[in-house]
Amino acid sequence: MRALFRFEFLAGLVLLTLVGGAVALSPWLFPDSGKTMDFLARLTPPFVNEAHWLGTDPMGRDILERVVVGGKISFIVGIFSALGAVTLGTVIGLLAGYYRGFWDSFLMRFADIQLALPFILLAITVIAIIGPGLDRIVILMIVAQWVQYARLVRASVLSLREAEYVQAAKSYGLPDRKIIFGHILPNAMGPLIILATLNVANNILLESSLTFLGLGIDPLTPSWGGMLADGRNYIQTAPWITIFPGLAIMFTVLGLNLLGDWLRDYLDPLGKTNT
Amino acid sequence: MLKHHSLKKLALATLLVVSSSSVWADTSLTVAQRQDPNSWDPIDTFLVAWSSAGGSLFDGLVLRDENLKLQPGLATSWEILEDGLRMRFKLSEGVKFHNGEDFNADAVKFTFDRLLGEEGAKGPQRSNYLSIKSIEVVDDHTVDFVMNAPDPVMLTKLAGYGAMIVPPKYITEKGDAHFNMNPVGTGPFKFKSYTQGDKLELVINPDYFGGKPKLDNLTYRFIREDATRLAELQAGRVDVVHDIAFSAIPTVKENDSIEIVSVAGPSIMSYQFNTKAGITKDLKVRQAINMAVDKKVLIDAFLGGYGTPIDSLQGKLSFGYDPDLKGYPFDPEKAKQLLKEAGVKPGTEITIDYRANNAAVGEISQAMTSFLQNVGLNAKLKPIESSVFLNDIVPKGKTDELFQFTWGGWTFDFDNTAYLIYHDGERWNPYGTSEEMNKLLEAQRSIVDQDERLKILRQVGQLAHDNAYHLPLYNEDTIYAVSKKVKGFVPAPDRRMRYLTTTVEE
Repeated sequence: MRALFRFEFLAGLVLLTLVGGAVALSPWLFPDSGKTMDFLARLTPPFVNEAHWLGTDPMGRDILERVVVGGKISFIVGIFSALGAVTLGTVIGLLAGYYRGFWDSFLMRFADIQLALPFILLAITVIAIIGPGLDRIVILMIVAQWVQYARLVRASVLSLREAEYVQAAKSYGLPDRKIIFGHILPNAMGPLIILATLNVANNILLESSLTFLGLGIDPLTPSWGGMLADGRNYIQTAPWITIFPGLAIMFTVLGLNLLGDWLRDYLDPLGKTNT
Repeated sequence: MLKHHSLKKLALATLLVVSSSSVWADTSLTVAQRQDPNSWDPIDTFLVAWSSAGGSLFDGLVLRDENLKLQPGLATSWEILEDGLRMRFKLSEGVKFHNGEDFNADAVKFTFDRLLGEEGAKGPQRSNYLSIKSIEVVDDHTVDFVMNAPDPVMLTKLAGYGAMIVPPKYITEKGDAHFNMNPVGTGPFKFKSYTQGDKLELVINPDYFGGKPKLDNLTYRFIREDATRLAELQAGRVDVVHDIAFSAIPTVKENDSIEIVSVAGPSIMSYQFNTKAGITKDLKVRQAINMAVDKKVLIDAFLGGYGTPIDSLQGKLSFGYDPDLKGYPFDPEKAKQLLKEAGVKPGTEITIDYRANNAAVGEISQAMTSFLQNVGLNAKLKPIESSVFLNDIVPKGKTDELFQFTWGGWTFDFDNTAYLIYHDGERWNPYGTSEEMNKLLEAQRSIVDQDERLKILRQVGQLAHDNAYHLPLYNEDTIYAVSKKVKGFVPAPDRRMRYLTTTVEE
């Protein structure tokens, strides 16, 4: 119970609740989804106009509205792609590392092939075939990123499967499933969580590169990464276009990292830090 | 006492040094531009980046000045014979190439034989000059161009890149590859050094036949990033920036040591309609969309005011421009009514295709959706990777209802634009126009009488307008960012800068 009052947990929870709450309420707060343009009010600086507290972008759209509304796309892309890649990568890594032999060589050769393909090339090819869209982007990122997790998990499993407690569990006659999920996976979680929280931020930005190349979502739909890309040419004259979505990404990632840290400690079966 | 005396001496000496340096120091100008053309052979390229630097190295028989008037260049005079099937040029005497070679009729013949021959076939320039059949040397300083058919735009084209006169002996001896990297011409500046991807250094040609330039050194630096080019200008390491992003204009205006110099240019921005599929098949819908967009607002908001609204695909400097052409007015109410008449329900979806890698085009396209929304059309955007867009989507007619279309038009002659986008079967006319249009375009190509041609080109503009094949938006100004140390800067509308009268004050 005491674990719930740790600083990382509280701070992470507050940050994510604030950002996530605003994003979740956005359809009621801003029903026009940040798409209304007002060319006369373009590039309004922040904190001078009550109608646009955080200023406006080159199209005269309200930055506050777009940051809040844009969070939806960024959350979906960032979190679902990381979750998907973690799940797929972990399963493959566990299987390959635990059973070795044919499955190991087979799955890891797949990983090698995947690693040899540059992401943008893969993205252009896949999207040329299946067409752009939010779900496709998430799938594309999962396909491109499961390898990292698979390799990470496999490396941990290779050493864990030789550990004495695993050997002991085997000699007790526990089924493989219980050994893998009860004894090996919890011990391999630490680095996995760190990598996953980092990837969330990465994927939020990756979505913007894909959109910039015309491979992503409709450019009219706001997203944090897309806002950063829009503001690039105005960084000297209108920095607020990039600063606010940048802050939103920062708080989200910070919150996720703090929660990840806490979760890692909480799940630490040796209880090294959680005394 | 002694001390006082020596101080005076020192002051005097300093004064001498300062004054002499301002008299004797070389004046140098450094220009930054986005692109490096990678070869300085005039027939290898169609890049504006070539001409903005290469224009200082080479001359044509005809030159086009900053007011876009044709002036004698290496030819002193010309006459048109045999109803345009023969053009006779008198050449300047006593002109030498930078390497000392004489300029004469043989050099002209060599230049065009090379352009129309094997070497020219490798580059993009040759196709502009195919109306030339052969060059005949009359005497040392007279040449005849024998034409396959009369070409009313030939004189302008002789001021173009491909017709720059090159030295026969130098190229024959050293080879084309050497010439690409070590160009020799007759122009106001001589080649000194070239580092690919970095810079081109030129020095004064004191014997230039058009008068000695005022600069001693002229350096071009190639800097890809918009922001870096501007930063170099702000830091004083560069004096002139050739390609300045519209979004950077406010930054430049805030800086007291830099100014924006602008002049009406050739580039136009428009959206074309898919006239074969979707709701834009209907003329009324196309007219409605023309009335839905406020061009003035787009220019003021996104170009900082550096542009002019247009009603045909040319600016007012273009030959063929029609001041009497009445464009579609900005009238959202009328637009809604036309859409209603055409049976288009409010909320109907319409998609705009555009090149993905250009931030300015992306902004204009986004703004377009707002105007279309305003008349009840639900506009979607489809950014498409640039080379796919230009080589597949547009030429093969795979676009959605609207697609973005920009055009350079360096000849400032509407033929060069209109023929390629309105004549059936041309690359940029995927959806076809009409038999009437084809006939007009073909007719003006064989007429030498310029008044008659102008009449036809205006008819072409009117016909395109009546059929609303497109939504012409604006004619962009050519803008330069220039340090205030630079005096006598004369902006060229086509970016073919010569820097003959330019100086730099320290």
